[in-house]
Amino acid sequence: MNRGVHRFALLLAGATFFLIIAGALVTSHDAGLATSDWPLSNGQFFPKMVGNLFWEHGHRMVATTVGFLTVCFTVYLYWEQICNWLYRRGLIRSAPVYRGEPRRWVRRLGSIALGTVIAQGLLGGLTVKLNLPLVVSAAHATLAQLFFCTTVSLAVFTSRSWLENQPTMEEQGTLAVRYVCVAAAVTIFLQLIIGATLRHSATWDQPLPTDLLLTHIGGAFAVTVLLGTTAVLILRRQGGKTFLTRPAKLALALLAVQLFLGIAAYITRVASPNDPQPLNPMVGITVAHVACGALVFATTIVLTLRSFKVLRANAASFEFATAEPKLKLEL
Amino acid sequence: MFMKQTKVLLILTIALSLLALASACGNAPKDDNSGGTPATAGKKFVPNGKEGTISGVVAFTGTPPAPKKIATDADPACGQKNPNLSTEDNVVTNGKLANVLVYIKEGTLADGTKIGDWGFDTPATALTLDQNGCHYKPHVSAVMVNQKLTITNSDPTQHNIHFTPKNNPDWNQSQPNGAAPLSHSFARSEILVPVKCNQHPWMKAYVAVLKHPFAAVTAEDGSFSIKGVPPGAYTVVAWHEGGATGTEMTMQVTVPASGSATADFAFGGAATASGKPSLQMMPALDVPMLGRH
Repeated sequence: MNRGVHRFALLLAGATFFLIIAGALVTSHDAGLATSDWPLSNGQFFPKMVGNLFWEHGHRMVATTVGFLTVCFTVYLYWEQICNWLYRRGLIRSAPVYRGEPRRWVRRLGSIALGTVIAQGLLGGLTVKLNLPLVVSAAHATLAQLFFCTTVSLAVFTSRSWLENQPTMEEQGTLAVRYVCVAAAVTIFLQLIIGATLRHSATWDQPLPTDLLLTHIGGAFAVTVLLGTTAVLILRRQGGKTFLTRPAKLALALLAVQLFLGIAAYITRVASPNDPQPLNPMVGITVAHVACGALVFATTIVLTLRSFKVLRANAASFEFATAEPKLKLEL
Repeated sequence: MFMKQTKVLLILTIALSLLALASACGNAPKDDNSGGTPATAGKKFVPNGKEGTISGVVAFTGTPPAPKKIATDADPACGQKNPNLSTEDNVVTNGKLANVLVYIKEGTLADGTKIGDWGFDTPATALTLDQNGCHYKPHVSAVMVNQKLTITNSDPTQHNIHFTPKNNPDWNQSQPNGAAPLSHSFARSEILVPVKCNQHPWMKAYVAVLKHPFAAVTAEDGSFSIKGVPPGAYTVVAWHEGGATGTEMTMQVTVPASGSATADFAFGGAATASGKPSLQMMPALDVPMLGRH
């Protein structure tokens, strides 16, 4: 195990979470077009950070940092391959001392993260240049969640608990936990897309579109049912397995907080068009709602990955699926 | 086995995100062209000296909402230049309402032709929209299609000017303090184009884009005057901001040759349009008739 890679992955995931908060602050303040140019702000690398330009340019600075961290992380993953390549061409004198990431698929996931963060930066620029069209802004917000999910996955795959030999167990009951986890993760992702579209459909001084709002509320019910079922199944069936129960408990707790934040965000957001400018608590609560949504998604991803790591189909269902039919119809 | 499942998960995730993008594309707001038409040259209107005037006063009945104080902590330059910065959606002085747009929506001239059948010269002079004290001045204004708007920044801080029309292209431009004036115009008529500064979110203005010059904005004493109106019968609209799209009131007026007509309006709690028929409360941004004339 390379602890350095894992720590770097944790740093990257943490920085990405902070970036999601910075992005949410831009949306809640309606600061996305505080400057009409990109990648510079008002033609400068370091403009005067006053008014809403503080949020927009601050977001760009955090994003640049995350992009740089992702490049470094990818290089770190491929360190051995890079050094070997340089060594074979005589550009360095000795073979690499430090190993990067030995698993090819993890390195590839790192490459996917790099590609995602580049695409995300371009989408951010595109949405500014096009004056925040809904589709591009919502795609920017959605890709942010996917990138966060990728960095969290990298942290999971490089962690000690993942690399240790975890005893595998058979699924119990007819409802496979692994697939309920997948259903919950997919539902949360869809809910994040609806939420992103809702947020970018109306600025703080406009009423929220009712159809999207109702869809988002419906999504909240679906997520509650699916994630609640997932967590309860894990806690009941795998009670002694902290590898699974910890993220399940965390997901349940975050879900409860998220539902509370969702109600609070709605109440404050409905009142915000009467305010002279975006004010707290609307800004604080809506941003917390976005951040907590990202955490719910990340925790569910961890739970899903871990369930696939240690759970396998039970023998009965395996036999059922593969056995020759024993009953014959007598004509 | 695990790799295979991971791949399936990844493919599923990508497919879902593409679906979501496609869905978001479908939900994107579409321009409603019902309220705007490009400038088209009809018969050119030539004044014959018998034009009249529509004038009046717009009142506010009841107690107007108190202006809200604006916090300028995020940009102290605004507070330094304008220490009493507050909202300006209801500027009421002695019961009279300022910043109300009054314009001719439709009508028939004395010779039986519709006003929309005529073409009017676009003024050569530009309307100046100044960013001063972290407010737009004027707060409400009217221009003709293709008339130039000159945007200036008199503040010791940077602004961005962002027009968010429905029938014209969205336009956003940064303007640091000391920067040269910007110029913009609208190719299609539209009631009204909201203007905002994303750096200072309380900064709002409204620009009406008309195919004719018959519009005015009430002064602090609530008065307005629309001059050079050809004799005829018209539907006059008074628009005042507030809520999502503002409030409109309409009135029928007849302008005699070389004479004048009065159109007094009242907004607020017990609002009426004086003496004449219709008081209508409707979304001000959806005025299809304007696009047809």
